[in-house]
Amino acid sequence: MQTRIKKLLVLLLSLCLLFSGCAGIEATKNTAEEPAVTKSESTAPKTDPTEFANETPAESASKAPATFSPDQIPAYADDPFIALHNNEPYFDIADYAAKSFETYSELDELGRCGTVMACVGKDLMPTEKRGNISSVKPSGWHSVQYDFVDGGSLYNRCHLIGYQLSGENANERNLITGTRSMNTEGMLPFENMVADYVKETGNHVLYRVTPVFQGNDLVARGVVMEAKSMEDNGDGVCFCVFAYNNEPGVTIDYATGASTLSSASAATTTQKQTTTQKQTTTQNQTTTKKQTTTQKQTTTKKTVLTGTGSYILNTNTKKFHNPSCSSVKQMNESNKWEYSGSREEIIGMGYDPCKRCNP
Amino acid sequence: MKLIVCLDDKNGMLFNHRRQSRDQNVTADILAMTAGSRLYINAYSAPLFEGQAVTVAEDMLSLANEEDYCFVENLHVAEYADRIKEVILYKWNRRYPGDFFFDLDITDPRQWQLSSAVKFAGNSHETITKERYIYADKN
Repeated sequence: MQTRIKKLLVLLLSLCLLFSGCAGIEATKNTAEEPAVTKSESTAPKTDPTEFANETPAESASKAPATFSPDQIPAYADDPFIALHNNEPYFDIADYAAKSFETYSELDELGRCGTVMACVGKDLMPTEKRGNISSVKPSGWHSVQYDFVDGGSLYNRCHLIGYQLSGENANERNLITGTRSMNTEGMLPFENMVADYVKETGNHVLYRVTPVFQGNDLVARGVVMEAKSMEDNGDGVCFCVFAYNNEPGVTIDYATGASTLSSASAATTTQKQTTTQKQTTTQNQTTTKKQTTTQKQTTTKKTVLTGTGSYILNTNTKKFHNPSCSSVKQMNESNKWEYSGSREEIIGMGYDPCKRCNP
Repeated sequence: MKLIVCLDDKNGMLFNHRRQSRDQNVTADILAMTAGSRLYINAYSAPLFEGQAVTVAEDMLSLANEEDYCFVENLHVAEYADRIKEVILYKWNRRYPGDFFFDLDITDPRQWQLSSAVKFAGNSHETITKERYIYADKN
């Protein structure tokens, strides 16, 4: 009996610690030295988007439609995204302070994500590699593979605010069912642009992503992405685009997420429906490994020049080495340059050959 | 002239009239490389080179002589192809949105020879590749 009571007490204590720990993580993500990032949750404002259709950016700048109708979006025409509203966000940065925050809408009654918004600063960005997000099943989620889709899987768990911007992992309010193309061709380039700008300048970017659903569809037709850099009033970053949730060669039933090969693709390709998560994971890992190997080979090939050698330059000491030189291992990574070219060119750049390896 | 251009994976330069990216290590490398030579830029690029000895001219592609460098961010250059004898590319090794692209074709090895390639860490970019192409018309 005493043992049972002891076990119960340990369990209760563990639960208390677990929940208090989680709450702490939710509220603050930063170290004590950095200002705390505001993190809040909100429901998407129910604004009628059609009222903005004929307005100029200046007229509607202070308004912020958080829902869009697919009727407002031009039909897909091969490009993964299209500019909206003259590439000017609907929000007005004057309404916000240049201080990091992130907000996520509650899921609606169909379990769908709504508008998410962040003021992206360096303090919001992740310091660790992305974690596992496979526990989240966004609305309309299907694990389905096509052999012609990059990586194999038709759908990705698409971050609305990219991981590289806000460091959110398995947040169900930030993940939608998105095609591989939308994820990598439509959204990622914009996330890269914002992330690199923030890292380079230390400035903030006001950033909002709105998934666009038709009626009761479970899968979004695409996302509206808006961003504007704050400290320089948009000189660095400014865009308002719609990224299409399409995959060339696949017809998607947006109501459910089911998919079929487009008639044009059916004759030349095969579809593999994956029934277990395990199979999907294994296959993805294999594909990723293959891609990495191919990519590495390509990169290496590219930098080897005929009739020239490969050298390692130390930008600090202004010495250059053979790649196998023992000094290379001791070199600070930030001072290390891999160089493919002629010895004379390197000397012409002001570098001296290492006396140890005599390149 | 010697052309200096920054490109993403799809040869993009700008999106919505703004540079796709920037990196202070690239700017520093450009200044080091062009030290002792004339470096032309136009007004759009001036904020990247504040306080530096550069020549700002909107018509730099017409003005530059054979040994001058021109850093180009928002201009098409193909019509000046016969004046360009060297191209220095800084590749971000990233994919950004683009609506303005590099329009000089340097893929024909009979005309353009890759002379050197170097990879280095940027301030905000993991790896930047600098490639130098020399015009060598062998037709």
